[in-house]
Amino acid sequence: MSSANAPLSSRMSPRIVTVRERVLKQNDLLARDLRARFQAAGVRVISLVSSPGAGKTSLLERTLAILGQKRRVAALVGDLATENDALRLQRSGAPVKQITTGTVCHLDASMISTAVSDWSLAALDVMFIENVGNLVCPSSYDLGEAVRVVLLSATEGEDKPLKYPTIFNTADVAVITKIDLAAAAEFDREAAHSNIQTVRPGMRVMEVSARTGAGMDAWIAFLQEHS
Amino acid sequence: MHELSIAVNIIELAEEEMIRHGGRRVRAVHLQLGPLAAVARDALLFSFNLACEGTAAEGSQLVIEDGQGLDLDICRLEIEP
Repeated sequence: MSSANAPLSSRMSPRIVTVRERVLKQNDLLARDLRARFQAAGVRVISLVSSPGAGKTSLLERTLAILGQKRRVAALVGDLATENDALRLQRSGAPVKQITTGTVCHLDASMISTAVSDWSLAALDVMFIENVGNLVCPSSYDLGEAVRVVLLSATEGEDKPLKYPTIFNTADVAVITKIDLAAAAEFDREAAHSNIQTVRPGMRVMEVSARTGAGMDAWIAFLQEHS
Repeated sequence: MHELSIAVNIIELAEEEMIRHGGRRVRAVHLQLGPLAAVARDALLFSFNLACEGTAAEGSQLVIEDGQGLDLDICRLEIEP
């Protein structure tokens, strides 16, 4: 036995042990539990990810208003600070809860679990999760959602998918928002679609404008297919 | 910048495994990191050095090896008895 205050060099040589542990195992296990709970309760969970300002909240405002007439909808919304987004979304009349993360740049499964702890999931048909605006960190964290939607706004530039391939890879569907501003922003639609297909071949892409309502029918139809 | 929370997760897992294998200190943690894991190598190394302070992994080395795809796995530990 080596004594605790012996110099490092004289201590026993380290032992190498082989392990196989996913670093995010804890989050993945919790997300798996959440997914099972959501499924058992019959609630379809759809998460939205994008950079800040891509229009997640505007799309969700409009979506809650329209889909809320046909389905029992609710939303969780993540930001570092303020209740602003929750206040905006609550105008739809749907249950909405703000998750403020402090300085954390993403939502994780434990935050979702805590947020829904006092909600009756069986009383919902569709629950949306608006992630913190960030195209990097949210890609690592499974939230137990059934569908992950990545938003790309027409004002951001058509090369976002090439710059942030991981988030497009972990998402199921892409939505191009603010399509009414495409001409003003000289947005190259063909390039955007082709860039999305480059990083995620076969990905379904929709174009919407929450302001004018363009493309909302297809978006709502998509959500109904999935709820 | 979620590397600090990832570093904290790595250290917690390493300490658990160390205890399971009867060790008292962690000397090194070998991590497989894939190109799609959305984790920055330099930021993770920096965060690891901060996060290991005051733990059984204090002063230990994080060795990052090239993995595949979304890999973010601890594959080996060097522990002191």
